[in-house]
Amino acid sequence: MNPTVKYEITKRLLTANGQPLSGQQLADDFGLSRTAIWKHIKELEEEGYEIETIKKKGYVLSSSPDSLQAAKINQYLTTKRFGHTIHYEVSCPSTQPIAHQMAQSGAPDGSIVVCEEQTAGKGRMARVWTSTQGKGIWMSVIIRPEIPPTKAPQFTLVAAVAVTRAIEDIADVRAEIKWPNDLLINGKKCTGILTELQADMDRVHAIILGIGVNVNQQVTDFPEEIQSIATSIQMVTGKTVDRAELVARILHHLEIYTDLYVMHGFEPLKILWESYSCTLGKRIKAIMIHQQIEGLALGITSEGILQVKTDDGQIHGIYSADIEIQN
Amino acid sequence: MLKVQEIREIIKLIDHSSIDEFIYESEGTKVKLKKNGVQVTTETVVPQPKPAAPAVETPASVEVNPAPVAPTAKEAKADVEVKESAVNDASLHQITSPMVGTFYQSSSPDTPAYVQVGDKVTEDGVVCIVEAMKLFNEIEAEVSGEIVEILAKDGQLVEYGQPLFLVKAN
Repeated sequence: MNPTVKYEITKRLLTANGQPLSGQQLADDFGLSRTAIWKHIKELEEEGYEIETIKKKGYVLSSSPDSLQAAKINQYLTTKRFGHTIHYEVSCPSTQPIAHQMAQSGAPDGSIVVCEEQTAGKGRMARVWTSTQGKGIWMSVIIRPEIPPTKAPQFTLVAAVAVTRAIEDIADVRAEIKWPNDLLINGKKCTGILTELQADMDRVHAIILGIGVNVNQQVTDFPEEIQSIATSIQMVTGKTVDRAELVARILHHLEIYTDLYVMHGFEPLKILWESYSCTLGKRIKAIMIHQQIEGLALGITSEGILQVKTDDGQIHGIYSADIEIQN
Repeated sequence: MLKVQEIREIIKLIDHSSIDEFIYESEGTKVKLKKNGVQVTTETVVPQPKPAAPAVETPASVEVNPAPVAPTAKEAKADVEVKESAVNDASLHQITSPMVGTFYQSSSPDTPAYVQVGDKVTEDGVVCIVEAMKLFNEIEAEVSGEIVEILAKDGQLVEYGQPLFLVKAN
């Protein structure tokens, strides 16, 4: 089967709004026989698409599987660049190394890698990130902004704002951001973002944003040791979310905020970040590799650095740490 | 835009300073001032016996002045000077940090360091990670050679442009 033709047929079925697609028309458009088109339709049915054949009229899609295939995401895309190149995997160790490879071979700005399941997803300090099959968004986004590497770390905060806005749009639930970029709902983690950089001293070649969103999991989908600290959108709202639509919405906001950041700097994003933050004004513990700092989270600087005032009145700038919010 | 008075003020200040050249740039305006007679700065007097000079000059010129220093003190200083001169040794390649962040020698606390002193590295070999706000930057050696010195400590905050490693290039 030709993957491009299959993708185009899927896209047309998904966007036909119940109107039948004529087999003859499809055959003419792709320069194939009607039998070849029929074979593509059969293959889609095997993947879980329910397709009705109406005599003399053509094919009508009655339901599609819950997946993050390119055509599924594409039907919701509202972006100029982001998500226009989609690499889809059913299962892979992690989307990050695939995205690194793609970036090195010149993948365009806004290319993404998504999968249904990661078998070796990772978080900060090589911690395990659980990526349940078909229940979340496990995605890497390749961004190529014209900025020096010194301006790259703020992107992790920009990404957190974009995902928060997208979740608000699609699921009508407000997540809060724990510095720098964890998303919490009711104090439990629903999104983690880990970013890697390809750069030399004065130029960013690519920022690889790794985004994991817990979408449709039940509590039992999480390993026991994280059940008390993890949550999903469905666990909060009781509703199943169309993951493909959420991916498209994340890309929508990510593209807007990326352009805003590159053009106008961090200041406008800082205001947005602060409006979603659950860190500021709280007593926190910043856990670093060789030390811990406890105190009041005063705010973030114009570079996104967390400022913590310890009890002796000193103010510390935190660049990298795990943050515990204390009650 | 700078006012004429302000420019006049700057000229006066520079005139009375040891600055040879002054460039000021702001919002499309560029002011460049240069002194014609450079004699002012060349008025170097015969060097006085130096009080514990940092090892910036070449050793040769330091030797010229037989400073009356007790031999023990000289030996104590030697150690420091060797260290400093290693950093300033132009033949060694410096791997510097491209951003402010936390320096890590390994990918996680449980894994061994990317490189140790004496290790051979290749141009695209990863030598460390610099992290800021969960953005991880794997730093590559950019030259092939041998790691001579590691200049930052694991978990330390490093500045933009701060030397992290010295590499003896092949």
